Amino acid sequence: MNSFLACNDLTVRFYEQPKPVLHQLSLTIQKGEKVLFLGPSGSGKSTLISVLAGIIPEHVEADMQGEVVLQRHTGVMFQDPDSQFCMHRVNEEIAFSLENRSVPREEMDGIIQQLMQKVQLDVDPHTEIHTLSGGMKQRLALACLLALQPDVLFFDEPTAQLDPAGRMDIFQLLQQLAADQQQTMIFVEHVLDGVIEWMDRVILLDDQGSILADGAPKDVLAAYEEEMKEAGIWRPKLFPEKWSTIIQDPFHPLSQTFMQTFEARKEQREKVPSMERETMIRTENLQLSYGKKRVMSNLQLDIKAGDWVAIIGENGSGKSTCLKHLIRLEPAKKGHIFLKETDLKKWSDRLLFEKAGFVFQNPELQFIQDTVFDEIAFGGRQRNWPESVVQEKTVQLLKEFGLEKHAKAHPFTLSLGQKRRLSVATMLLFDQDVLLLDEPTFGQDEKTAKELMRRLKERQCQGTTIVMVTHDMELVDECADQVLLFHQGKHVYDGTPYDLFSNQELIDTYQLRVPLHYRYVAERKDVLTIAK
Amino acid sequence: MKLLAHLLAMGCLMAISDPKTPFIIWLFALGIGVVLGGWNMKYLVTRLVPYLLFFILVFWMMAAFGKGDHTVWKWAWFHITEESLRNGVTIAFRMLGFVTFGLLFTSTTDLTAFMMSLIHQCRMSPKWAYGMLAGFRFIPLFQSELKQMKAAHKIRGYKRKNSWKAFMRYALPLFTQGVRKSERLAIAMEARGFTGTKERTYYHIISTSWIDYMYLFLIGISVFMCIYFV
Repeated sequence: MNSFLACNDLTVRFYEQPKPVLHQLSLTIQKGEKVLFLGPSGSGKSTLISVLAGIIPEHVEADMQGEVVLQRHTGVMFQDPDSQFCMHRVNEEIAFSLENRSVPREEMDGIIQQLMQKVQLDVDPHTEIHTLSGGMKQRLALACLLALQPDVLFFDEPTAQLDPAGRMDIFQLLQQLAADQQQTMIFVEHVLDGVIEWMDRVILLDDQGSILADGAPKDVLAAYEEEMKEAGIWRPKLFPEKWSTIIQDPFHPLSQTFMQTFEARKEQREKVPSMERETMIRTENLQLSYGKKRVMSNLQLDIKAGDWVAIIGENGSGKSTCLKHLIRLEPAKKGHIFLKETDLKKWSDRLLFEKAGFVFQNPELQFIQDTVFDEIAFGGRQRNWPESVVQEKTVQLLKEFGLEKHAKAHPFTLSLGQKRRLSVATMLLFDQDVLLLDEPTFGQDEKTAKELMRRLKERQCQGTTIVMVTHDMELVDECADQVLLFHQGKHVYDGTPYDLFSNQELIDTYQLRVPLHYRYVAERKDVLTIAK
Repeated sequence: MKLLAHLLAMGCLMAISDPKTPFIIWLFALGIGVVLGGWNMKYLVTRLVPYLLFFILVFWMMAAFGKGDHTVWKWAWFHITEESLRNGVTIAFRMLGFVTFGLLFTSTTDLTAFMMSLIHQCRMSPKWAYGMLAGFRFIPLFQSELKQMKAAHKIRGYKRKNSWKAFMRYALPLFTQGVRKSERLAIAMEARGFTGTKERTYYHIISTSWIDYMYLFLIGISVFMCIYFV
């Protein structure tokens, strides 16, 4: 075979597992192609990338059969920025790649400068890596890869741990790079917006490790919509349609969808609650601080019972800190927080955690027991509930969150989505009145995220107040009753999502990414006024 | 080189048995720290205080239960003698000196530079040095994760009973995370061409200059003087 990159009848099995991950796979990739691998979790996408990059079997052991055509110089970007760096500072890290290639010392600084410019990393080369944001870290990772002068670049879910802004930045950068240098790039991704538009080819794998589809992005998306939904891939909101066509055409199906969604939200907004609702959480002149650093002063909040409140804002604007203060994980140095009209400081630990629950971003950190069942039952047993009550409530929660089959499993053996559901379930044993969530859909596939939201909505209908920190604007628009926008230490907006996303001034000032239907309506208005 | 100098000083300390000398040496180390290392009171206090407690404890142990002929004070089973007092002071100060020199070293040395010098001067294999460097990167990560875990456990109402079991609870997720991350890092490093062998060029080149030798000389002389003139 005279191809650039290929495999023929490739079967890969990891020694600890009985079944092969990849099953007699054959494919060919040409130089300069941009290919996207899609498939459900466990379909072997990462393994395929590892094989094509030469990591398997050289650095990772596996039982591999079949032929593979490789390129000598490859670079792989992984999803966890922190697990890719071994040095302390930016320049040292890039130099690491150069050192491995035995590049002479004199040339190193020049190359480092060049690469940093290319990936648009505008920081002092001596910056310590841990001070960089997630997006910047991935750029640094890219620079390190480019330092290897690879023939092919592989990306294994590179944006999974980035916020939407970071994700868009990286994709734009990569797209530019691809255009400038005709670089061959191979992606595995779950969120398609930003990447699928410029791919040449999409390869869809099934859960057995074989190829289901291989073709142009538009075609594969159209023909295999069901499979992709099953696999939990976040469907692109716009692709393959173009924004320009939709704006001009009010009868386009997407245009109609947008208008419908918009109208629905408007209706929701106009529904004024008939009765006076009680306040669940209230703050007075609250000062948010993280350790010794003051993050925000004079925060006044009024969260009504049964509301779903979303806190949004850039990284570092104090969102998570606020959440932590509300459950007394961080002591409030100045100002007061009132939970159900009683000062937070006066609540005993025991009572407080019966009324309020907190779901962490990393679910693993809160698991204490050896089985899923015990994990949920833990709170009840701690309070010496009668065993029958514990059993009853636990079983109910297991059913509610779809975890009955895993009742005897160890929490760490669950998939990420299941762990997330488990962490929420554990918090609900006491039927808490308030549930605080820190980025609950971060890094999740669409199916799991939507399911989680559905269950939370159910709880909300039963009266639970939900306060959520998130970056996902669509989520905010869909579920939240109230939105709080934090910006650089100030609480700049408090109102409904509809009002926020319809306010062009706010959108421009704070550079918000609004859900498409709002953008559509705003731009239609412009088009119509111009047309007049 | 600095390491060598400090080790030398510490070695001398070990050998001294007269109580006054270690005291002076300790003050000396303190002096260097303040002048060259930019230590301020606060830093000193936070770092040295735990050792101070230990120091007092050792001193007390040696002094109160010592053997000797010149009894100074006696009460129940506490038996302080002149010899034991002297012993106590000696050992305690020796310890303190040790610790202070150690502290002096770690607080004024850049980790990366140190690792590199190990490779260049002591001929350590790059495999070990880079491995350790990478490992050090994980420490702050572990710290923040531990803090998060404690918070999470608190919310769940988990009372920290006996510390051994509690430690295991905290340790398991930390370990699994650690193993996972380090595995990924190892693969990433190898994918970037790291072979751990000596065939590579270096970004940081640490060489010994005359300053290093001067430093060694100075410390050596000072310690010497302390021994002979006090």
